[in-house]
Amino acid sequence: MSGEQENILVMILAGGKGERLYPLTRDRAKPAVPFGGIYRIIDFTLSNCVNAGLRKIYLLTQYKSLSLVRHIRLGWSTMFKPQIGEFIETLPAQQRVTIDWYKGTADAVFQNIYSIQQERPELILILSGDHIYKMDYRKMIRFHTEKNADVTVGTVKVPLRDMSRYGIIELDKGKRIVGFKEKPSQKEYTTKEDFALASMGVYVFNTDVIVKEVIEDAKKETSHDFGRDIIPRIISKKRAFGHVFAQEYWRDIGTIDAYWDASMDLVSRTPELNLHDSEWPIFTFRPQLPPAKIVLDGNSRNGKIVDSIVSLGCIIKGGYVENSILSYNVLIRSNAHVEESILMSNVDVERGCKIRRAIIDKGVMLEDGTVIGYDKRQDRKNYFVSENGIVVIPKTRERGEKYA
Amino acid sequence: MEKVMVVDDDEGIRCLYEQVLTDEGYKVILASDGLEAVEIFKNIKPDIVVLDIRMPGMDGIELLGKVLDMDRKLPVIINSAYSMYKNNFLTWMADAYVIKSSDLTELKLKIRELLEAKKKKNTESN
Repeated sequence: MSGEQENILVMILAGGKGERLYPLTRDRAKPAVPFGGIYRIIDFTLSNCVNAGLRKIYLLTQYKSLSLVRHIRLGWSTMFKPQIGEFIETLPAQQRVTIDWYKGTADAVFQNIYSIQQERPELILILSGDHIYKMDYRKMIRFHTEKNADVTVGTVKVPLRDMSRYGIIELDKGKRIVGFKEKPSQKEYTTKEDFALASMGVYVFNTDVIVKEVIEDAKKETSHDFGRDIIPRIISKKRAFGHVFAQEYWRDIGTIDAYWDASMDLVSRTPELNLHDSEWPIFTFRPQLPPAKIVLDGNSRNGKIVDSIVSLGCIIKGGYVENSILSYNVLIRSNAHVEESILMSNVDVERGCKIRRAIIDKGVMLEDGTVIGYDKRQDRKNYFVSENGIVVIPKTRERGEKYA
Repeated sequence: MEKVMVVDDDEGIRCLYEQVLTDEGYKVILASDGLEAVEIFKNIKPDIVVLDIRMPGMDGIELLGKVLDMDRKLPVIINSAYSMYKNNFLTWMADAYVIKSSDLTELKLKIRELLEAKKKKNTESN
């Protein structure tokens, strides 16, 4: 850790229920949802912090946090050195200041004023634990300091047709925020550009400013949300600026379909999100497992994998896998055919299964001859199916918490 | 009559404040520390709280959190002999910070000001 990052505290809001990601969020908080074979969603935000030299991190958790907390303990705690002031701490709603659960993102910060007081940083970087992107927060922090800002909002360019999904930020020439509209229609917001700037849920605050704002907000009847309540109120009375994130790739994996799309990007030949980037590595917890193995089955049929991600511990025994992500310890048996699917760890695909456009959660065993993704009516009868027809099989309950 | 709760471990201060604030036309409720104040809150809801910080047992900062639990809109004035707690973010949750002085003008003004602001807010929301 060096110089300017030393006095910055990161607070990651990781309490999201992720209801629209159900059933992947049935047993885990959204930031703990597995992604890309070996990662969980939170790994991207945490890797961004570590790569940017930000090593004082509070993770604000609440719903179904068991697997998230375990992941942090196993995969992340050891990357921080408390001896030199580094830490990653998970902060559940502690009832330290008040007795409530976190009522919103601003309330989560309000309830942790005690923890902020312990650190007394100069700046606080607020992040969401739900998003997938690679961002060097140092650039935004430098921008914040140069502009002598009270708050800086991270923004990303989005096509005008998608505006209604985001909080849209309007900047003047000096990058000062002059307008904010929550999920506007194309009629409500006009611009000469062919894009709009969406708030990423990434904020740099001067500590005294954020503390005052969340206290003021706590005493009002609001939804206690940074995007909806704090930012619209602050732009007229404080120095609020917008930093434009230079890269294109930023995803809020809000729905099953968005999750499937982002996964399919990863297995494409030149994905938008590059995981093979030594300049900006993505870290995670890695269990000790043997390498993946592809073997002939008993009838000398070859296992074959194309355009796919295969993780440690997998055994492909004569099956065929295409455009798919296989997490740890997946077993594919002979004559099985897997296409455009995401198989999480410890999934067994038995003989002759035909699986297409499906997400199979941890520990599920698909019995001989299971067919998914070929008959829409049958799928809807038997399984959870997303709007775009992706079948999701939730985590097994039979094989225990080991597979959370 | 508006109720002012005074929480202070110093008996002399409690007596003085009771007298002065009664003369101002308030009903004064006294507590000698945080725990006692919490007990009183169960039965009586004051309109404003004047809070010392350094007290044996539950101190003013902890009590401030409990007060806000019960009613986030209840005005609270921190009244300490020390100014150093002004830097503590937890005290920022109070509506005002008045340093103790033999001259109670500032305290009386703050009480009046906050009660009026509260009344105004209430009529606005009604």
